[in-house]
Amino acid sequence: MSGKTSLSIDDKMATVKIKIDKDAHIIVKKERCQDCPTRPCLVICTAENYKWDEKRDELVFNYEGCLECGACRIICPRDAIEWSYPRGGFGVKYRFG
Amino acid sequence: MDKVTCIVVGAGPAGSACALALAQKGIETVLFERGRVPGEKNVSSFVLYTAELKRLIPDFRKDLPVERTVVRTDQVLLEQHDAKALKSYNYRWVDDPLAFTAFRRRFDAWFAKKAVDAGVQLMSGMKVTDLIKDGDRVVGVSVGGEELYADVVVGADGFHSIVGEKTGLVKSWKPERCLLAVKEVLDLPSHVINERFQLTDGIACEQGIYCYHINDLDVFSATLYTNMDSVSLAVFARLDELQKKNIQLHGELDRLKQHSYLDSLIKGATLREYQAHILADGGRVKPKSLYGNGVLLCGEAGGITATETGMGVPTCILSGMMAAETIEDAVKKQDFSRRSLKNYLKYLDSTALLDMVHKSRKESDYYASAARSEGPREMEAAADIYNQYWEKDVTYLSKSSFSIMVEFYLRIGQYRVPGLLRWPLTALVKLSRFPVRLVEAIKKRLRKRYYEWKNQPVNR
Repeated sequence: MSGKTSLSIDDKMATVKIKIDKDAHIIVKKERCQDCPTRPCLVICTAENYKWDEKRDELVFNYEGCLECGACRIICPRDAIEWSYPRGGFGVKYRFG
Repeated sequence: MDKVTCIVVGAGPAGSACALALAQKGIETVLFERGRVPGEKNVSSFVLYTAELKRLIPDFRKDLPVERTVVRTDQVLLEQHDAKALKSYNYRWVDDPLAFTAFRRRFDAWFAKKAVDAGVQLMSGMKVTDLIKDGDRVVGVSVGGEELYADVVVGADGFHSIVGEKTGLVKSWKPERCLLAVKEVLDLPSHVINERFQLTDGIACEQGIYCYHINDLDVFSATLYTNMDSVSLAVFARLDELQKKNIQLHGELDRLKQHSYLDSLIKGATLREYQAHILADGGRVKPKSLYGNGVLLCGEAGGITATETGMGVPTCILSGMMAAETIEDAVKKQDFSRRSLKNYLKYLDSTALLDMVHKSRKESDYYASAARSEGPREMEAAADIYNQYWEKDVTYLSKSSFSIMVEFYLRIGQYRVPGLLRWPLTALVKLSRFPVRLVEAIKKRLRKRYYEWKNQPVNR
């Protein structure tokens, strides 16, 4: 095992080109998250877009850094995440898919 | 009211193949793509096998945007402190290349361009938001308020298929049927790749890596392959497992990169791009839900992808071609009802695809459960079976000449049967395989002849 440190998710996301839409393509019904026991979206999201804000005690998310895998939508046990692809021409733009 | 004969949603391999095949048959087709350019939304960790592509574009070698030619595949079994590798070379592919590494961004754009050249109208940057229905029959699509009508709509819009959802053909996803994948494209100078992977210029190797108990996940798979001056490393894991164990997949990728085996191969490489994608693991849609009134599903939208063998792109292309054949028949009859489009299954059955859809769920379960309980030995068997695909002519054009379950029995299953029973059973299984093989071989030859005959005028 080498001793090198791995890149943080922000460094990784910096390599991805995304054209940000002003309309969100993810809508979360946050009241459903309050009593969600597992909150799998926090770990499943490949871009770590979902965070739990301890202070305000609610889910915060950022649709702008979405890689459009849609895993959150499938994993959500409360059906709280309304996810669709961004509008045509917006969203992630892979250069080396 | 604008109306065309066929609308294809999604300009990935399946959509472009379908549109191109339709255009070649002279059927008016509009192809929608939500990305600005086809390919910019798509990720594959893939080797491009071109047997299917060749049927559609005979002279594809002229300008196909590839990175390197694949002649070697490695199956690597990785445990915490040891690694085992099985290398297989296919030297026939040096002179007559069949498999390539490529970037989807370039390949998909190229493929869609071919469709456009053939007369398809490509509308990129347009996301199909809804379907227009007349009763339960699909009669068109709406794109952000604007409407376009068609006799038949082909859903080739990938995993989160809007066509599939709006028609109700695709019902729900289960986390245990989904594979999450993250991939990194890592910059590495060409000569370093050649040295570390023992390759020459323009020659690539592909590695299927089965990871066993090296991380918190019991079992997961990874792929590593070489591009011109970069390598692509991807890891896959089932969603339900990630959820159960509370594991971040990109964290797993980082830890895998620190494994001595991978460290020796990709040391010093810098990240070029980070990608994530989700794919269906094993038979997402039942065959009878692949068609509806005025609608067909192909590619990932219908779950016609070979997750196990990593040949998703060729199977998607082939399913697109089969959808085009179905539509050609329907246009001749001017009947786009569900009954008429049922022919799709017949066409799929003329290839290995329908078998694959039927079997893939079982197979995927088998891999998942057996790999967990039996460990490396099962992995070896899986690698072995993969190698069979590799050594034979790698194609889904015709049904495979052997049933994979029989093969499984002969390789693994028989050792679980008590000794006295094993001999007669094995002999029986082997015997039962013979007529099937014979028939398949004859059929294959006939089919080949037929296609040669059919394709003659196109080639000239």
